[in-house]
Order: sequence, then structure tokens, then C-alpha cells
Amino acid sequence: MAFTCTLTLNNEVAHITLAGELDAAVAPQFRAKIEEAAAAKVTRLVLFMSELEYMASAGLRSLAFAKQKMGANVDIYMVGVQETVAETITMTGFHNSVIMVESYDEA
Amino acid sequence: MHVLTVPADLDSLDAVGKYVVEAASQAGLDRKAAYRLRLAVDEIMTNIINYGHTEVGLTGDVIVRAAIEADTLTIILEDRARPFDPRERPEPEDLDRPLEERNIGGLGVYLALKGVDHFNYEYVDQMNRNIFVMYRPLQA
Repeated sequence: MAFTCTLTLNNEVAHITLAGELDAAVAPQFRAKIEEAAAAKVTRLVLFMSELEYMASAGLRSLAFAKQKMGANVDIYMVGVQETVAETITMTGFHNSVIMVESYDEA
Repeated sequence: MHVLTVPADLDSLDAVGKYVVEAASQAGLDRKAAYRLRLAVDEIMTNIINYGHTEVGLTGDVIVRAAIEADTLTIILEDRARPFDPRERPEPEDLDRPLEERNIGGLGVYLALKGVDHFNYEYVDQMNRNIFVMYRPLQA
């Protein structure tokens, strides 16, 4: 399935919804959304990933880029990550630096 | 399966992914094994394109082969970039550190080599051959 990536900004929170297959060819689209969110000086980044079927390491590098661009104190939430994608996140230790949740409700 | 020949360009990743998924399906791999194989091939293919070709201004093709045998599915990537054995790349050592303190390199090769049952590399006739092997589930 083709990759799609949409950003919405709500005050200081950025929501990015990822769907389809995230490989090195399309990772620049994700990175562009992260830069847009970073420019808006958000304090939290929420990634909705339940429709993301595949993620290569290029996606991981985009996340590291987000942390470095937005600052270490910006929390990154990952919502509804599929099991196979989660395995990659865990194998590379990225689960230590993000908050993985089943569902997300803005409190 | 047929042999797939694609240009060493990031736009080819999609076609290679589909080819590997189809081979995994024909070989009867379960969903997780199929995903790990597709990821492994995708990561090495990405390196062949970026470091073997784009960065050094080389154009060329990558040949993708699949062989289903009684016990195994083997995928082979062949390219004519300069020799590079992914097994020689050191494993990332800072996987437990916070992201903002990490050196984010080598993750693709790490995922590729960890994800398949066997990985092999050879350089023959001025050609890199990256070889990925997965065991097939026992047939009923």
C-alpha cells in the first residue's frame, strides 16, 4: 500500500498519521512533516501508526531526527503500532526513547 | 520464481519488496518471518543504492533472484558496485542509549543480519552477492 503521512497541529501538540509502507524512498515525506512540526515548536509529537504496515530503518532515522530537532524533552507517542513494526522498534532500542500506547486520548 | 532486474534507484524498493513478499508467500513463510526477510532485503538494497551507487555517481542494475527449495527460501541480490561485505560493519553499540545521544548509523545492516536465519556474502566475477536464507515451516 502506498505511503501517506498527514500532519495536524493542535496548539503545542503535533499529530502525524502514518499509513502504508515507510521505506527509504518515502522517508523524506515523513521527515518534512517532522520539520514542519519542529518549526511550530510543539512540546509533544503523537504518531498514529495503526495503519502503518511496514517501516524500514529510514523511518527510525526520521524519529531520531525528530528527537534531535525538537529537543530531548519533547515526548514522542506511538499509538497502535503493529506487532511486526514494534519488533523493529524494540530490536533497535527505540522503545526506550518513545512512549508506546495502544490508544491515545488527549488529556 | 522469475528473476527481477531493477535500476539501483530508491524507486525500485517497492518492486523488490513486492517480489520478496510474493516469494515468501510461495514458500509458505509465516507473517513475521516474511516481514523480517522483506526488511532485511530492503535494508541491504537501500545500502546498495545509496552507498554503492548514488553517493559515488554510479548507475547500474540490481538483479534479484529467489530460490525455493525443500527446506529454505533464498533471496540473492547481485550488483556491480564496489565490494562491500555487510558483515564487516560493526554492530551498533549504543542501542540502549537515549535517541538524542545516539549515533544513528548501521541500524539497517543490523536489522538485516539479525532478521534472517542465515546471511551470506560473496564477491564473484566483480559482482557483490548478498544472500538471505530463511527456513520454511515444515510442510504438513
